[in-house]
Amino acid sequence: MILIGELSLWVALLMATWGTTVGFAGGYYKRPELIASAERASYATFGFLLLAALGLWTALLHSDFSFRYVASYTSANLPSIYKVTAFWAGQSGSLLLWAFILSAYSAIAVWTNRTRNRELMPYVTATLSAITLFFVMTLCFGSNPYERLDWIPPDGSGLNPQLQNPGMAIHPPNLYLGYIGTAIPFAFAIAALVTRRLDAGWLAAVRRWTLISWFFNTTGIILGMWWAYVELGWGGYWAWDPVENASFLPWLVNTAFLHSIMVQEKRGMLRKWNVTLVVSAFLLSILGTFITRSGIISSVHSFAQSNVGYWFLGFLVLAIALTAYLVGTRLNDLEAKAELESLVSREASFLFNNLLLVGIAFAVLWGTLFPILSEAVTNNKITVGPPFFNKVNVPLGLALLALTGIGPLIAWRRASAENLKRQFTGPLLTGITAGAALFALGMRDFGALVAYTLCGFVSGTIIQEFWKGVGARRRMYGENAFMALVRLVARNRRRYGGYIVHVGIVILFAAFAGLAFKEEFDVTLKGGETYEAVDPYGNKWRFVSQGVSRYDELNRQTTAVLLDSYRNGKKVGVIKTEKRQYTDSRGVPTFQPATEVGIMEGIREDVYVVLAGVIGEDTAEMRITFNPLVWWVWYGGLIMAIGGLIVMWPQAERRRAQAGYSTVLQPAEQEA
Amino acid sequence: MSDNALITRRRFFAATAAGAGVLIAARLAHAQEGEGQQEPPNTGASNTVMESDKFKSVTLPPKGPAVMDQAKRDELEHHIHCQCGCNLDVYTCRTTDFSCQVSPAMHRDVMALVAGGYSAPEIIAAFKNVYGDRVLMAPPSSGFDLAAWITPFVALSAGIALVLVVLRRLRGPALAPAIAPVVADATPAEQARLDALVRNDDQ
Repeated sequence: MILIGELSLWVALLMATWGTTVGFAGGYYKRPELIASAERASYATFGFLLLAALGLWTALLHSDFSFRYVASYTSANLPSIYKVTAFWAGQSGSLLLWAFILSAYSAIAVWTNRTRNRELMPYVTATLSAITLFFVMTLCFGSNPYERLDWIPPDGSGLNPQLQNPGMAIHPPNLYLGYIGTAIPFAFAIAALVTRRLDAGWLAAVRRWTLISWFFNTTGIILGMWWAYVELGWGGYWAWDPVENASFLPWLVNTAFLHSIMVQEKRGMLRKWNVTLVVSAFLLSILGTFITRSGIISSVHSFAQSNVGYWFLGFLVLAIALTAYLVGTRLNDLEAKAELESLVSREASFLFNNLLLVGIAFAVLWGTLFPILSEAVTNNKITVGPPFFNKVNVPLGLALLALTGIGPLIAWRRASAENLKRQFTGPLLTGITAGAALFALGMRDFGALVAYTLCGFVSGTIIQEFWKGVGARRRMYGENAFMALVRLVARNRRRYGGYIVHVGIVILFAAFAGLAFKEEFDVTLKGGETYEAVDPYGNKWRFVSQGVSRYDELNRQTTAVLLDSYRNGKKVGVIKTEKRQYTDSRGVPTFQPATEVGIMEGIREDVYVVLAGVIGEDTAEMRITFNPLVWWVWYGGLIMAIGGLIVMWPQAERRRAQAGYSTVLQPAEQEA
Repeated sequence: MSDNALITRRRFFAATAAGAGVLIAARLAHAQEGEGQQEPPNTGASNTVMESDKFKSVTLPPKGPAVMDQAKRDELEHHIHCQCGCNLDVYTCRTTDFSCQVSPAMHRDVMALVAGGYSAPEIIAAFKNVYGDRVLMAPPSSGFDLAAWITPFVALSAGIALVLVVLRRLRGPALAPAIAPVVADATPAEQARLDALVRNDDQ
């Protein structure tokens, strides 16, 4: 199987080359047999990359240390589940995962469009094959997971302890599914630009793929935040690390596109903008991969430096040049078919929502790359850390939150004063009441007060929308409230699924604002000693150390401290925090000691304990943190994902059409 | 802009793109100079070895009693970048990383300066004198680095201004509807009911 996998990688290289060549040739010369061949090559590439992936998994599971990759990222005593996940722990394995997922996506896109979008498909197939070809070339010539060692070591180096976490089993594949999902809309955009078929057809094809990409990007980011929180031990879930930023950029641009596509569907506007967003999302995915793999910027997530960075830089430059040329030469075909009638309209609010999303993306990209620019200009190294990103992005994020509430309430085309009054009175009162209540309860942090007021306002808009919809159904059909709610969502999944995503956003913002009240304490305790602290809610906590214990586990030596925890005099549990020294099968240490955070989770706050060090036999140095509302980050993310699934669910288009939401372009535009 | 202009828009963008490409390539080449030396992957806070070029002592003669309590000192340490190679501040690194020797050493310097009666800005300035701007967690708001702070807002303001100008120029009389409803596979009665259902909240 391993040999088959190794050979399959090279055959996939040939298949992708063939698919690229005959795809473009078939499209250009309009030769059906070439087009069909390119599509078959797409399926074949997927098949061979699947074999290549299975081969690597086999090598990992059999601990075949003759392969450099297996020896570098696993050891004989590594639990099997982490041997499986070691597939994406290193540079070449994760590149193979990229290529494999891309080929799977390509095969699905070709299959689902075998009777649709036939004018576009030759170029879609060829573009996807070209991207796959780039990744397979990088694998074969730049970073081959099947590279063999000159000698076979008795054991491998083991897997980085920070990657031995369930979050790392699912976070990277999710993120890759999101990143790579941007390639399909990109391919459709290239095909539409090449063929000049820039009507609504290509947009309909890419909308669902963008949603798929957005969904996986969202879940990938949230899972990554959870992993950082429980594994890295610094007490937070988002550090504005360059690689975190790189994953955030396509999400922002995809989110902007999912809003602006509605404006093009409804009003025929923002055509150039939409093409630019689709293309940018893919390019930012490649940029993110370049940042992770080039070593150009220091990051906790970086892979070991290698020459793969040059490959990505070259690909990025080529892709930017190609798309800039195509967009530049097709500007006339992208003219809007309608114009904005009023700045007080839903399309205008979506426009400003897009500006903010892209503005945040620019700010994040700018902050991420600024150290390079500054060093090049001033020869002075600087750090752009969380204080910068928070100061710049918090006001933009709050403005975006406000627009999340404003957008859905304003009418298309032109809102009347009566419409504004009717729609905004309730939500505004809700927001103001929430803010005033929190102020009366003693909250004085300005940023948090603004955030919670806006959360109240947006919640008010969402509740109002559901209330009106459910009420209408109850009047029309005599349904009970629950059935009316279920059918309301089921009959218009796109709209109400979107509102559920907004619910998730509100919860996330509320949880982020909770960080303003975080409390941290440095604690040094001997066995039997007590530390008392007051949390942000005014509860009195008492922590009693049970002392330091040391013991061996399967592939590690553990140093642990147990803390009996009391809230307002009542015992609420025991928190265990650990330091782990991982070893190989011979008991030789493999990595620096790793933190295992002790977390007592709660709806109101987490108690987060990190063992920072041990003095002598029985004295532990710890950091105890009260982290308010962190629990809501995970559930806000979950709700966003559920909302995304509802929006994506098949048949949504038909239902939407029945509900009168779906629109088609006029014949004049279709002919354009 | 005339074709005879010294710098056309196209040339400007081409030159900007070329410049950016050269900068990134140069940085990349610099970043990859160490390639082949089998450096371990950067695993963040754990990547900590005490080296002379990482830790530099920051000392000043005492000038009076301490003016900061522990909470303010901890807050101050959130603004000082640990030099061990991680992306964390001194407070977070020293309370997270079992093996980092740099952040505890920097912490000792902070404690000595606090005990010597120095204020937070004075301590930050002392660290900056020794390490340079890289010891700050955010770029200084002066000189070239001021661009880091203002550019996002300038760009966003320019975007909003551009949109407003373009819209003002383009806005004309209301055009004929560019869209028409699809023919749904519903009976006229059902369609009428569904239209009534959504009319009120989808204006």
